[in-house]
Amino acid sequence: MTAQRRSMPLSLLFSLGVRNLFRHRRRNFMLLLAISVAVAGVVLTNSLIRGFQADMRDAAVDNLTGHIKVLAPGYRDDPGIDKRFNVAEGWHDSLAGVPVAGWAPRIRVPAVLMSERETRGIELVGIDPSREDISFVGDVAVSGERLANAADGRLLLGKALAEQLRTDVGYRLVVMAQGADGLNREAGFRVAGLFDGDGTGLEKAFAFTGLERLQSMLGTSAVTEISVRLEHDEPPLLDTAVRRLRETYPAQDVLRWDTLEPQAAAMFEYADMAIFIWFLILMSALVFGLVNTLVTAVMERTRELGMLRALGMRPGTVVMQVVLESCIIMAAGVALGLLIGSGLVWWLRDGIDLSAWSDGVELAGMRSTLVPRLRAGDVALVTGMSLLLGVLASLYPAWRAVKIKPLEAMQR
Amino acid sequence: MNDVVVECRAVTRVYQDDSVPVYALRGVDFQVRRGEFVSLAGPSGSGKSTLLNVIGGLDRPTSGDIAVDGVWLGTFSESALADLRLHKLGFVFQDYNLIPVLSARENVEFILQLQGVAGSERRQRAMTMLQALGISELAGRRPGELSGGQQQRVAIARALVTEPVLLLADEPSANLDTATTEDLLDLLRQLNLERGVTIVTATHDPLVMSYARRRVQLKDGAIAGETHAEAAG
Repeated sequence: MTAQRRSMPLSLLFSLGVRNLFRHRRRNFMLLLAISVAVAGVVLTNSLIRGFQADMRDAAVDNLTGHIKVLAPGYRDDPGIDKRFNVAEGWHDSLAGVPVAGWAPRIRVPAVLMSERETRGIELVGIDPSREDISFVGDVAVSGERLANAADGRLLLGKALAEQLRTDVGYRLVVMAQGADGLNREAGFRVAGLFDGDGTGLEKAFAFTGLERLQSMLGTSAVTEISVRLEHDEPPLLDTAVRRLRETYPAQDVLRWDTLEPQAAAMFEYADMAIFIWFLILMSALVFGLVNTLVTAVMERTRELGMLRALGMRPGTVVMQVVLESCIIMAAGVALGLLIGSGLVWWLRDGIDLSAWSDGVELAGMRSTLVPRLRAGDVALVTGMSLLLGVLASLYPAWRAVKIKPLEAMQR
Repeated sequence: MNDVVVECRAVTRVYQDDSVPVYALRGVDFQVRRGEFVSLAGPSGSGKSTLLNVIGGLDRPTSGDIAVDGVWLGTFSESALADLRLHKLGFVFQDYNLIPVLSARENVEFILQLQGVAGSERRQRAMTMLQALGISELAGRRPGELSGGQQQRVAIARALVTEPVLLLADEPSANLDTATTEDLLDLLRQLNLERGVTIVTATHDPLVMSYARRRVQLKDGAIAGETHAEAAG
């Protein structure tokens, strides 16, 4: 004899589940609080990791990389003016329809800077200042003057480099670099201004001058790179832009930021994994508490569950009742936790000042202020995974509930 | 319509107690006809509650078979037995066994909800039943706010709201004082006479026995004899 099909009385079970939670208010309140704190902690930590992730990516993109770069083949292995190419006429038409934030042609060559007192090897970058709003050069703090245009024949140095060279604004420096003909070129440049980068790494590595002035010094009208920045960096958009640029520059390398900055890209992926692992560790610990509470609740209600079975509640319905109770308390805890977590993220919206640990922060490719970023996808992940854990946590208590024999339970 | 509501054929129930078999029922043959008010009586350990439980599908006989409303239960699965209890049987327990977080009306209504009865019909039927038992004004109260007699009335309303073919009552007066027991028994008699509800009770309370029209005496797991109200005077 088989049982007839009967639909699950979900509204009854939901109503019973909610009311049962109020039977042991203190115990369930403590559990609710524990879930909320854990979820809030996960939300805040995820947001900080996302902030750290975005910071690293933005720093990598800002530091003259852009989202996509066109380079002569071999330049990455051995950068120099011999790896140059000419900017194609009307090349940016190939990016029509792609939301491009900006692009900048540059020459980047190794050079030696000499002051009266010191000499330093640096990377000399010829830029068109009007196009550098796509990199940190566009908005970096400068004491003295910025470069006026691509023909500006002065230098913009980092403050740290200026200290090393023991020079200052208005002083004259000698620049030595290899020309397009392979011969060394030497020219005098006056310091226009000193930039204050986010950390000393940038300040010591780069010196900037006008693109046309550097082309003139090196004896070429070509560039060593074109950097392109997009409005946003979704992979499909990046792929489209890369494909079109490769059609325009078939002889050059067209590379994405994650290829140019593999370390930052690896950290980016690590952050994704870290979010997931952190969530699992915290919530798994919580699951034991939930299992314990549910088992206790089932044991306390053995007689009642036996009576429900005696009156005709099917084993599957008993399972559903325990699962629902677990999901209800988990959902309430997640909702409260999301509220608290979002509140904390909002409270920290201006960022956490990490300047006290600036060396380590710079080493990690971050900026000195960490701004948490709350993403809808992460919220959905926390919600979905929590409910899934709620279901998993209820399986053992539900099994215990089903094992209850109605007759034995009611004789207790 | 089959006139026999319960039929037990050679029902034996054996429990193993430290490897020693304990016979709770020994080949019981027993019938209950529609509209009867039967009391199963006997001392503790006579098998009256065991017989009630196997009739109600709460326990399975070790051998023999039981038919309820013409359907033999021998091959029923747990879910099928649950369906039988839900649709054909009404239970009244000595401890009332109401759900503490539900009001009196909700306790009556919830059994209909398990049956899948729609909301408005559910409420109307629950209230009609509470009214018939004279406790409609207590509909909104939770079990903790009701006396023992009131709780037992709610339990009876819950047992009858599905219009079962058989009402099984296990020691229904165990936790009630004499006056409340008499009220309850008057109610059961009224339901039996006016509504034709078939009732089987297991009891050792002479007062309960006195209300039944048929008294079945059990001893050592077997039927030792039976009397009818008319014959008993």
